[in-house]
Amino acid sequence: MTREQITLKIFEIFQREFEIVNPGLDDDLRETFGFDSVDAIELLLEIERLLRLELTHEEKKMAMEIRNIRQIIDYVESMAKKREL
Amino acid sequence: MTGRRVVITACAAITPIGHTRKEIVESLRRGASGVKPLKEDHLLSQFIHSQVFGTVDYPIEYDFKRTHRKTMGPVAYYACQVAKEVLEQAGLTQEFVTSGRLGVAFGSTHGSPTVQREIYKTFFSGSRSEFSAIGAVDYLKSMVHTTAVNITRMFGITGRVISSGTACTTSSQSIGYGYEMVKHGMQDAMLCGGADEYDTTTVAVFDNLLACSTAFNDRPHCTPRPFDVHRDGLVVGEGAGAVLLEEYEQAKRRGATILGEVIGFACNNNGGDLILPNLAGISETLRIGLRDAALAADQVDFVSAHATGTKMGDIIEAQAIHAVYGAGPFVTGLKGYMGHTMGSCGAIETIITLYMMQEGFIAPTLNLEEPDERCAMIRHTPALEERPMNVAAIQNFAFGGVNTSLLIKRFV
Repeated sequence: MTREQITLKIFEIFQREFEIVNPGLDDDLRETFGFDSVDAIELLLEIERLLRLELTHEEKKMAMEIRNIRQIIDYVESMAKKREL
Repeated sequence: MTGRRVVITACAAITPIGHTRKEIVESLRRGASGVKPLKEDHLLSQFIHSQVFGTVDYPIEYDFKRTHRKTMGPVAYYACQVAKEVLEQAGLTQEFVTSGRLGVAFGSTHGSPTVQREIYKTFFSGSRSEFSAIGAVDYLKSMVHTTAVNITRMFGITGRVISSGTACTTSSQSIGYGYEMVKHGMQDAMLCGGADEYDTTTVAVFDNLLACSTAFNDRPHCTPRPFDVHRDGLVVGEGAGAVLLEEYEQAKRRGATILGEVIGFACNNNGGDLILPNLAGISETLRIGLRDAALAADQVDFVSAHATGTKMGDIIEAQAIHAVYGAGPFVTGLKGYMGHTMGSCGAIETIITLYMMQEGFIAPTLNLEEPDERCAMIRHTPALEERPMNVAAIQNFAFGGVNTSLLIKRFV
């Protein structure tokens, strides 16, 4: 999956699941959209569905530091690469 | 025990016979039933003998933000909607709402069964990936205090939280314990009530206990039939009700509209069987309520009976009413209109009693055509009475042997 494809999918997920339309890549998701830890857990489930893989507990914990869309795309890209998807 | 005066300064309900005060009063005046055929749920409905349900079948326009909606199951939608209407009606300042002096007493029978059903589906799917798909929010949507804390979150309420989950006495306890909080100075106001969503699990439970109505499946509006000789059991329903209780001096100072006054509350337990109604236990609740309100029995002019329409429950309740109040007060079983709305029935019946108190009429028990002779010793309300109501008792009883009696007074 290319970075462009991932970006497109993440935007789709944000619109569909969180009603957040076209967020800026560097917007602080919590401050700008009230995106909280519960949303983050839901997002991880969506990422697992997107990549058709199961994230480990450690990988999920790593994601808790993420603050914006750019970091989410980086994260998804690295998870995909790690598994050679 | 003396304490501060507690008044009701706002109320709102979602019921099978209407949402607004106008709709509900009109339904009562024209004897309209909210009992409808049981909906197909592709799980239990085809196995349930009772094919009727007290149904909220009109659209409700919710206007909740995503950040609030994400932790709400259907029951929390009901609860937050009536809470929102109550807070708007009361006109409390945002400063007071978030001051810690306003608390919430709100509950439901068992959180959100719709969400719980989805969780169980996932459990039994046998798939590991499905298992991990149990959402982080599913617990927040389905836990037993989901109504209370979704209300605190939505409005930023920081006071005490009480969340009774005592089935049929859930919301009468909410109002009663809220009353005691304000009366004794722990809080200056309490937002109290209960809600339950459309749920066939509850119907199945009562159906298995042979307690549900089955003889009127082809005529849903003819059941339940509180105190009637042809009654054949209860009808489960859905709904929500909320009241705002406020310390009297504060309400007066801020110029609030006072709808009524709570003057007494009682709650006890039968101390034995968890299902069978108990004459001694119920009678004692009613007596404690009168003592708490410092009233003589003949000062009560209306009793909102729990009256679910079961064979034994109605007889024992009639005996208790007669033992404590005699044949003086008019008695109405409001469940005749909408079935048993479970965790919300105490609040809904309190709100309907308030409406009747304000409008000066007493609604008859719907479907009471021929009183069972074993229930006939009390003063039933067979037809609509246009008369003032000054003091009313609202009584509710739950599985587990929990009984409540709430006494309210017209504010003049």
